[in-house]
Amino acid sequence: MYSLENEHESFKVDTRRRLIVLGGLFAGGAMLIGGQLFHLQVMNGGEYRNLAEDNRISLQPIPALRGRILDRHGRILVENSPDFQLAVIPELTGDIKALLKRMQPYLALPPDKIEKVLRQVQRQRGFLPLMVQSRLTWAQVNQIESRIHTFPGASIQVQTTRSYPNGDTAAHLLGYLGEVNEKDILQFPSINFRSGDIVGKTGMERMFELELRGKEGFREMEVNAVGRHIRELKRQPARPGPDLRLTIDVELQAEAERALMGLSGSTVCLDPNNGEVLAMVSQPSYDPNQFIRGFSSDEWKLLVTDPKRPLINKAIQGQYPPGSTFKMTVALAALREGKISPYTRHYCSGSVTRDNHTFYCWKNGGHGQLDLVAALEQSCDVFFYKVSEALGIDALARQAKNLGFGETTGIGLEGERPGLMPSRAWKKATYGHSWYPGETLITAIGQGAVLATPLQLASMIAAIANGGRIYRPTFVPTPKDQSPTPIHTTSIQASHLDLVRKGLIAVLHGKMGTARQYKPEKVMAAGKTGTSQVVKHKREKSGKLIKEENSRFKDHALFVAYAPVENPRLALSVVVEHGGHGASAAAPVAKRIFDFYFDKYGIPES
Amino acid sequence: MNMPTDDKNFRLLGGNSPGWRDRLSRFPTSLLILLGMLILGGFVVLYSAVGGGENIDYVWRQAARAAFGLTLLLTISMAGSEKIYRRYAYLFYGLSLLLLIGVFLSGTIGMGARRWLEIGVLNLQPSELMKVALVLALARYFHDRSVSSGISIADLFIPLLMIALPTILIVKQPDLGTSILLSAVGMAVIVAAGLEWKIFIAVITLLGASMPMGWNMMHDYQRRRILTLFSPEKDPLGAGYHIIQSKIAIGSGGIFGKGFMAGSQSQLNFLPERHTDFIFSVLAEEWGFVGGLLLLITYCMIILRTLIIASTASDRFGLLSVVGLTALFAFQVLVNMGMVIGLLPVVGIPLPMISYGGSSMLTLMMAMGLIAHVSIHSKQHGRTI
Repeated sequence: MYSLENEHESFKVDTRRRLIVLGGLFAGGAMLIGGQLFHLQVMNGGEYRNLAEDNRISLQPIPALRGRILDRHGRILVENSPDFQLAVIPELTGDIKALLKRMQPYLALPPDKIEKVLRQVQRQRGFLPLMVQSRLTWAQVNQIESRIHTFPGASIQVQTTRSYPNGDTAAHLLGYLGEVNEKDILQFPSINFRSGDIVGKTGMERMFELELRGKEGFREMEVNAVGRHIRELKRQPARPGPDLRLTIDVELQAEAERALMGLSGSTVCLDPNNGEVLAMVSQPSYDPNQFIRGFSSDEWKLLVTDPKRPLINKAIQGQYPPGSTFKMTVALAALREGKISPYTRHYCSGSVTRDNHTFYCWKNGGHGQLDLVAALEQSCDVFFYKVSEALGIDALARQAKNLGFGETTGIGLEGERPGLMPSRAWKKATYGHSWYPGETLITAIGQGAVLATPLQLASMIAAIANGGRIYRPTFVPTPKDQSPTPIHTTSIQASHLDLVRKGLIAVLHGKMGTARQYKPEKVMAAGKTGTSQVVKHKREKSGKLIKEENSRFKDHALFVAYAPVENPRLALSVVVEHGGHGASAAAPVAKRIFDFYFDKYGIPES
Repeated sequence: MNMPTDDKNFRLLGGNSPGWRDRLSRFPTSLLILLGMLILGGFVVLYSAVGGGENIDYVWRQAARAAFGLTLLLTISMAGSEKIYRRYAYLFYGLSLLLLIGVFLSGTIGMGARRWLEIGVLNLQPSELMKVALVLALARYFHDRSVSSGISIADLFIPLLMIALPTILIVKQPDLGTSILLSAVGMAVIVAAGLEWKIFIAVITLLGASMPMGWNMMHDYQRRRILTLFSPEKDPLGAGYHIIQSKIAIGSGGIFGKGFMAGSQSQLNFLPERHTDFIFSVLAEEWGFVGGLLLLITYCMIILRTLIIASTASDRFGLLSVVGLTALFAFQVLVNMGMVIGLLPVVGIPLPMISYGGSSMLTLMMAMGLIAHVSIHSKQHGRTI
């Protein structure tokens, strides 16, 4: 047996070293841990504190109520109405399938909808409410509400939804809402959209999106790890969008729509003294409520493929040859250039021939000798052929642009088209050809390349009514303390305007006026009919028109007018697509609008 | 008696146990105070971790365990015979091994793994018993074979077998954390017993080299935990969630912490297992760097104290068992904290004396009782008598 003493001594010395090594290993580990704690808590504490806050706090948006849209007299065009929805909180309902089955007598859900709900239950957390059915009827709400204690976890929730109490009245004008998309985000960079947000897609809803949408509020909620709300930390209430008052007169709008009911076309009514839009109609129309409810695919297909294009706002997007409504522009250009005087007379034999090409007047046999007033009254084509020859296309184009042709009015609605006013430069740039003299002739009667929107035509006739001032058409009432400022003055001489107006008055009130059958009941009006060719007409050898039976090839009927003659209050344009003659199809629409308007508001003192 | 140490005296005292009054007076009070601080502090953190008031039952249950544990500690430490634990070390090991085999053959399913053996109403976790039993058995082995010239490879066969048997059984449960803990503790005893340094280094190298093999033997979830450690953000809601949320909790505590019951990560359930394995995150979030460091220092002081006890042990069995039991305690501290702060993979090892749960606490109380027993019978005391 070895000596215990020796063993013990050597054991002691070596062991002390070994204990120090083991203790040192532990100390090293402890220092690593201390170092990591220092790194996490002292060096990066702030960053982790932010992460912890992000974990803890969830921002819940509070939707802002969208502003209502009112007409000029404060009548409601668009409002928010309650939408009653049935929501369930799965963790409170127990067997959700059984619950839905018991509620089925009041809901009548289609089987695929039930399946969708059951699938959603699997997907989301049990304490989050799940919307089962929206747009419950009053009867459904009553039935469910009175038995609500038998449906644990179910509740009726009220959301707001956009509603259009007048149905399809002013539908194009007011526009509709839809879910935000890429294009909307680019259009409104100042709005912080979230996916699924609702945004104005067309019309007023889009034009005044920034004003109407208000500012959404938020609740800062403390949430736990699975997202359940613990408490509210802070609340920033939503700021509802202000009501928007428009210049539209909803009664006039409705009357104008009735006047065009069943037709395809448009009318624009302006206050000639400030450019305020009183009515803007595009027919046929659609019910914007349908955009909120959603379309079936058949309904949507019907709407999109309808040849009358109900989704298009023809007042700003329809471009038509202005036809004879263009003649007052020709007259004003020729007067300005000194090519005609009040006494200039031309002979109309029914046609003129230039370069082996015959240009016909609409009246077989011709009008005989006539001056400018008579030429406007009777809408003689040959008179204006001859005037335009002396005038030339570029002088005509200058005057036309002066009156707003070929450029958007800047009304602010998305999708407004500019129309077209041809000139030598345009022809060269577009077709590479030089201008043919014959083209000046057909331009003079508003045919050929020239195109205008109903809004442009209304703006033009408003300028003639108000003494030559072009206002930017607007939907926002001019503040009471401000006088409206025109975007430009055409500087047309008063004597020239008077002469043209005389002709326009004769159109309705003269013995031979093309619209003499449609003069307003209570007021004197001035106007001009127009018929614009859709296809080149076939004629017999004698020059007589062959009637086209197919309505798709029928002419567009146009009419522009203002009233009263003294102190004009209302300027309008009417376009009836494929309506035939301006006099017989468009002028009656204008008469009905004038009669309604002056019946209602009376005739102003002159 | 202030004579210098002489082995006669030493032997004399080794043979005769002092009376219970003497034993009580020799009790290492400082160790008990440090443990008491740890346990009481643990109650405060636990109270917060379970959400306070309505769940105060957790704290009561933990207090009951602590009370039972302290009783166990005192009972074990006050055992009269100095040699009693040495004498029964192999028997204890043998019984624990049998229980482990019992679990292996017929264990009930608990937490997705077989770790528990139901004996009547007592849910016994044999792997916990084995931690202590292995240390005692190894200490006994090296006590019986004192060698002055270091332990060579040939001397290692039996000790390694003693370590390997329970480790393999526990790996099969599967409980990777405990089996690593067991091997590490066994290694600590062997090193302290006098393993030749070059073998020690060779073993470390071999362990490093065999890691790829270990990787192949691991379960998928175990591999995922290790991968997650290196890039938790790859799977923030899956495997990485624990680590990310724990780091956020700890980091956001800053220097002074968010205050008692004021940790958003802890109170709002972002922290997983926050009253058991991840309780340190709660402490670090609510008491900050200062609180975390204080805890770490307390652990260091306990370990320093037990290592001093080891160095004054009256025999090799005492020395080696204290080293092994200290390693058991220290290793759990390092692994649990290392995992919670994102330095080590997530393995189910609780924080000593603080994590909620009975098994770990009772095992460590048993260990502390044995350490105190060695301290009571240390030669330091022998000298002063």
